[in-house]
Amino acid sequence: MQTSPQVASTLSAQDINVWFGDRHVLQDVNLVFPANQVTALIGPSGCGKSTFLRTLNRMHELIPSAGLAGSVLLDGEDIYGANMNAVDVRVKIGMVFQKPNPFPTMSIRENILSGLKLSGRKIVNADEIVETSLRRASIWTEVRDRLNDQALSLSGGQQQRLCIARSLAMNPEVLLMDEPCSALDPGSTRRIESTIEELSESMTIVIVTHNMQQAQRVADQTAFFLAEDGNPGEVVEFGATEQVFNLPVDARTNDYVNGHFG
Amino acid sequence: MTTPRPTIQPWSRQVRSMRSSIMVVATLPALLAIAILMLTQWDFSVVLLCVFLPMQVVAGAVLGALSFGKRGLKDAILMVFAVFLFSMVFVLLLSVLYSVISTGIGALSPHFFYENNRYVNTTTSLDYGGVGHAILGTLEIVLIASIISVPLGLALAIYLTQSRAKHLAVIRTIVQALSGLPSVVSGLFILAFMHFFMLQPSGLMGALALFPLMLPTIARVAEESLKLVPPDLRMGALALGAPNYRAFFRVILPAAKTGIVTAILLGLARVIGETAPLLLTTTVGNITNFNIFSGAIATLPTYIYSFLGSSYDVSQLRAWGGALVLLILVAVLFISARVLTRKKSTKRKSK
Repeated sequence: MQTSPQVASTLSAQDINVWFGDRHVLQDVNLVFPANQVTALIGPSGCGKSTFLRTLNRMHELIPSAGLAGSVLLDGEDIYGANMNAVDVRVKIGMVFQKPNPFPTMSIRENILSGLKLSGRKIVNADEIVETSLRRASIWTEVRDRLNDQALSLSGGQQQRLCIARSLAMNPEVLLMDEPCSALDPGSTRRIESTIEELSESMTIVIVTHNMQQAQRVADQTAFFLAEDGNPGEVVEFGATEQVFNLPVDARTNDYVNGHFG
Repeated sequence: MTTPRPTIQPWSRQVRSMRSSIMVVATLPALLAIAILMLTQWDFSVVLLCVFLPMQVVAGAVLGALSFGKRGLKDAILMVFAVFLFSMVFVLLLSVLYSVISTGIGALSPHFFYENNRYVNTTTSLDYGGVGHAILGTLEIVLIASIISVPLGLALAIYLTQSRAKHLAVIRTIVQALSGLPSVVSGLFILAFMHFFMLQPSGLMGALALFPLMLPTIARVAEESLKLVPPDLRMGALALGAPNYRAFFRVILPAAKTGIVTAILLGLARVIGETAPLLLTTTVGNITNFNIFSGAIATLPTYIYSFLGSSYDVSQLRAWGGALVLLILVAVLFISARVLTRKKSTKRKSK
């Protein structure tokens, strides 16, 4: 059944190195995202967090000059392996972008079902999928009477939750979120954060954020990325959120989370 | 208690107070120019360009400078030139429409739309004959040309926007160069082709001659409209596990639909009035010809051309009538294309 929550998976990145052209932008990133945990990636702009996030569901390879070394294991299987293709990977590992990007030519309902259509799946129980997905993204009560309205008629915060619901309709094992709240007001941000909390019961979540409080509120573990003076970005500190924020091992983490730079 | 809505907006108050001075400034040069035209024997265009326009610029500049200083000065001068040039083009368009409609209407009668040219010569009265065969020929040839050009033009636009091929810049330059191709050259090329393979003039040859003219127009306009689709949408579709082709057909193409329709319409507009390539490749037909593979076939532009050469009034009138029918045909095609494509999107919105 497509609507019943799947078992979440563990995602682990091993020795990830990324290049754009000749520029080395990420070096030796090793992170493990355990099932049903929320991991926050923090760090100043340009340190490679979003780039790293995009290597996790093979969106990275869409950039023409991109290069990559290392492997990403989804339940032990390398998503860059010879017998995997990008399209199947992206079905299992969903993504929500910084700017809400609902499909403008489709209604709210069609947006929810778009993932299934786009990946060529048969749609059984369309109504049920639409309702469940919208409920899980906590937007159902706001849109249930206008499912056939244009997606663009929604407010920015609602559009973002619609995009989350659109990813959820695919029932991904892992959900990647690239600063999902950076364009939203505090109210919408709060709703999305509580959504993330509920979702972590059924999937693994990785979220990039510039908001320290948000990382502390939603994340079980936190990774701090830093790229210093033209060096490629790397993970300076990785551990339980509380430890990264309150008892960081590295002095640079301490400076960053306390607002001394960045 | 609610505040009543004021009858004038705050921003229109200052415009109102200036309206009288604007009226004076706008009409004085015009009145002076008319007076000069009536009192002297000067040429109209001389008065327009050497008396009216400079006076209008100076008057506008003075008023602008007095009310808003330096910014008003620049604003007024640019405004006068913009309005002047716009009016020139608009008057030109109106005069073309007026002359075609007012003269061509004299040739119109119901049978003019469906009868053909079989028993008509340059002196036959307008009670006989019509452009039915030419309307049919135009539709046939434009349809065949579209069947060839639209898929290829769209495919070219898709290739130019969606692929990562290395030589896109070269292809784009070639397409741009092709769009500057004089239509008669395209006709000559097909004519040479016909001579080489011993082919007779036919509708198909005409459609082939129109193809190189239609293709670059469709490709370039469609390319621009596809480029306008935000890359976010493509990323969103791919992140949901869509293969490239489904992301394109279900997300990008629908988002660019209006632009694609415009591209096809502009392609049609480019060729529907073409005369030279058709004279060379289809020759002027006088009878109704449903077969595009053989025989001379008439189109509205070649019909107009063939009667315009005659010095008899009745023939000239036939040519004007043909021009009017061509205008009507273009208007019908364009309006119906817009209505058909708009209906779908509004239906979806209100559903």
